[in-house]
Amino acid sequence: MLRITFTKVLNGAKLSPKHIYVATRAQSGEVKKPEKVEVFIDDKPVYVEPGTTVLQAAAMIGVEIPRFCYHERLAVAGNCRMCLVEVEKSPKPVAACAMPVMKGWRIKTDSEMTRKAREGIMEFLLVNHPLDCPICDQGGECDLQDQSMAFGSDRSRFTDIEFSGKRAVEDKDIGPLIKTIMTRCIHCTRCIRFASEVAGVDDLGTTGRGNDMQVGTYVEKLFMSELSGNIIDLCPVGALTSKPYSFTARPWEIRKVDSIDVLDAVGSNIIVSTRTGEVMRIVPRVNEEINEEWLADKSRFAYDGLKRQRLVTPMIRDCNGELKPVDWEAALLTVAKVIKNAGSQVGAIAGGLADAEVLVAVKDLLNKLGSEALCTEHTFPLDGSGTDLRSSYLLNNKIAGVEEADLVLLIGTNPRLEAPLLNSRLRKGWIHNELQVALIGPKVDLRYDYEHLGDDAKVLKEIVSGRHQFSSKLKSAKKPLIIVGSELLERADGAAVLSAVQTLAANTPSQDKDWKVLNILHKVASQVAAFDIGYTPGVDKIREGNLKALLLIGADEGAIDKSDLPQDCFVIYQGHHGDQGASIADAILPGAAYTEKQATYVNTEGRAQETLVAVTAPGRAREDWKIIRALSEIIGAKLPYDNLNEIRCRLEEVAPHLTRYGSAEEANYFKQAEQLAKKIKIQLDECTPIDVKIKELQDYFMTDAITRASPTMAKCVQAVLKQKQSKY
Amino acid sequence: MAKYFGIDRIFTFLKTIKETGGLKASLYKLYRMDSLRPGQLVGTDKYGNKYYENPHYFYGRNRWVEYAPYYGMDYDGSQVPAEWFGWLHYKTDLLPDKDPSRPKYKWMLDHTENLSGTPGQYMPYSTTLPKIEAWRPPAK
Amino acid sequence: MASQAVKRTIKEVKPILSVDREEARKRVLNLYKAWYRQLPYIVKAYDIPKNVEQCRERLREEFTKHDHFPDIRVIDMLVIKGQMELKEIVNVWKQKGHVMTYFKDSLEPKPKDFLSKFLSGKE
Repeated sequence: MLRITFTKVLNGAKLSPKHIYVATRAQSGEVKKPEKVEVFIDDKPVYVEPGTTVLQAAAMIGVEIPRFCYHERLAVAGNCRMCLVEVEKSPKPVAACAMPVMKGWRIKTDSEMTRKAREGIMEFLLVNHPLDCPICDQGGECDLQDQSMAFGSDRSRFTDIEFSGKRAVEDKDIGPLIKTIMTRCIHCTRCIRFASEVAGVDDLGTTGRGNDMQVGTYVEKLFMSELSGNIIDLCPVGALTSKPYSFTARPWEIRKVDSIDVLDAVGSNIIVSTRTGEVMRIVPRVNEEINEEWLADKSRFAYDGLKRQRLVTPMIRDCNGELKPVDWEAALLTVAKVIKNAGSQVGAIAGGLADAEVLVAVKDLLNKLGSEALCTEHTFPLDGSGTDLRSSYLLNNKIAGVEEADLVLLIGTNPRLEAPLLNSRLRKGWIHNELQVALIGPKVDLRYDYEHLGDDAKVLKEIVSGRHQFSSKLKSAKKPLIIVGSELLERADGAAVLSAVQTLAANTPSQDKDWKVLNILHKVASQVAAFDIGYTPGVDKIREGNLKALLLIGADEGAIDKSDLPQDCFVIYQGHHGDQGASIADAILPGAAYTEKQATYVNTEGRAQETLVAVTAPGRAREDWKIIRALSEIIGAKLPYDNLNEIRCRLEEVAPHLTRYGSAEEANYFKQAEQLAKKIKIQLDECTPIDVKIKELQDYFMTDAITRASPTMAKCVQAVLKQKQSKY
Repeated sequence: MAKYFGIDRIFTFLKTIKETGGLKASLYKLYRMDSLRPGQLVGTDKYGNKYYENPHYFYGRNRWVEYAPYYGMDYDGSQVPAEWFGWLHYKTDLLPDKDPSRPKYKWMLDHTENLSGTPGQYMPYSTTLPKIEAWRPPAK
Repeated sequence: MASQAVKRTIKEVKPILSVDREEARKRVLNLYKAWYRQLPYIVKAYDIPKNVEQCRERLREEFTKHDHFPDIRVIDMLVIKGQMELKEIVNVWKQKGHVMTYFKDSLEPKPKDFLSKFLSGKE
């Protein structure tokens, strides 16, 4: 923990807390930069901006001051006193995290006084902290453990606890995700600050004073947040630990693999911890441009869904209509025969968890067979520029750009539950940057105040035409942002909505030349890559196509079922979970889940990212693109790539940005897209109100094949429903 | 006199053959059990095994079992039930039906022979849950 | 003229052992005979699950496998290697398993192309 924050602090651009960074950037236009002040840390001179705290100044030259309560993304509390340092000519040691530096200060981070202060604080902390490190889940990655080894004394003067015992605090039940062992709490209040500042759920707080102080919810209630798991990472001791992870593994016996989350379209960076071929837990990885260091609960806790309902062996429906396990050779031969007979009457539907490699392999295969029926499960308007211009289906202004905005118009989306980390950015802007939010759509709880413009499609039309009172606000905003939910565009009149929004965005001026007003927020991880590769949104082609064979690539949302297909259509399901798609399939080819393959995903802002193999795929499951590659050879339309490098080269041929990992490719041609959008003929349906599927927290947890298979997610839904009935 | 010349052995031999049930049966018994001995039938258990005693033989060889015919050549020691085991191995001289201290409860199980090497043998199995739970297609 | 001279100099290279084909042939035959005579003792010493007949067959196979080399130096080198091999076996510097590697041809070859690798679970 400490080491991570330390390196983060060392990275030049990310020196100061993000919100301070935003504030300075916003002001930088008008205000002249104040002069830097010189301070000395351990006699080394360092120039810092006024207002920098002692702790930050020390971090600049690589001096790490121990801390518990200070966290760079949270407000300064200054209550743990661990960061006390000596300042020359000051009679008392000062708390480095809260004290701004003054000109010419000489700070001593390793003096006798500093060390004595630290030892004293540590002695106080350990008076009541239980010595249960051997059975504590935080053991091995505990800040208190590390710092007591580094800065603590070897004995305590508080011998009275040997007679009176240590203070004990009753454990709280705050839900199925977080386990509390409140006796271990050292009252750093990080969790409280996170809950009120980042999550916006003011449930946690303290009761009592002094020795009787307790952190908790006062009445027993669920910590109802979609970001609740982050307080586990924030807790410097083992007071808050992960309930599903409890007592399963130790930090020194797990292997860590850097990967990407695919359960929403944000593409959060994660670390997958594995042991003995099992995913033990998932924790966030710092990426300032996407998830900072937070992670949504679905991404963090749905990993147990990877162990249930898995497809582990190829299956073929036998003459009795039952799916029977077969080996790969038999499965591939059967499927190849069907596809060969189908000729060009073969289609494919890509689900929300498909990676770019398999998408391109399937497209190549079907194109080789003469079919163009390649669809995505989630639809998107095709009229106007459709998916031809990337600018009309990306979150163009990037996730990090959201917090610089001063006015955000959300249309038909519930970012809190569709992209929790985008919502946390919005909330951050709302708190620190005076961001104003307006929403067209159902009134949902976003955990910050917003102007609700109604859920009528008419409102959108009025705003576009400039008759609505909000239009002037939008015009006068310096950095306005329009975020449209992809779900809204799935409506029958989605093209009209998109066209209206494009017109609105084009007519909304912004001060910054590079500022992009139009943003689309997707809900599934595969969508952007599928559009980039050239899939047709929506399954209409499949319905009309009179197909003889249909390949479902993890398509589990039930966009199509048997009644939409001709009687003799052979359905092949390729994916990792037995769900909607597998149950209607005639043949099942087991693929790998996102922790089991090295694959490319493109998030909603158009940023290509790569997952890595954390565990091997279970049973006979294989990496998805390899299945398609093997199948193609048996069909007799061999695809020209044998290994990951070669298929990545093919990806690069199709769309070069797909292999530029980590960087978001800019989209352009807004003008052209808008002009094309003007030509569409569909009228905006003013009768149907704008709606979102995921309105409340209980809808959030189970949205795809992995989360539906996860027992933890099911428990979360139950807990939320129970809490809704509770009187608190 | 006859004993002196060992002629009585011939009589014993002939008597044994007669008791066994003829020449053919005797040859079969000799083939099956590698011995042909005269003896007093002292009991039969519920599985059809016959228990013989002949005090004429030396201690340790004077009690034996003739396994039920349906075992054929596949007989082995575990086919002797527990109640006859003690008598056969000289733990007791009392026959099972004459032993008053032998407990008899209705919950006692029937004797089973050692089933190793047959389909009925005991196979240890894992009680740990599989790491990955596979999907079962819904029954039609 | 000049080019022919060059060719000749290329052809005339330093021999390893034999100066002409006939001599090389003799060396090969000598090696073959030496192996042939040792085979019964090898079978006995190493207690391998092969009889002398099978070993002779394998020996012949091993020699005919290399019967197409036109270069005398290559032949010589092979002969030297064969002698080394023989010495190692006769002096029991090898073990049973090493000897049995000569009979490994029944092993299935590893899959090379994508499809067979996929079907065998290697890919």
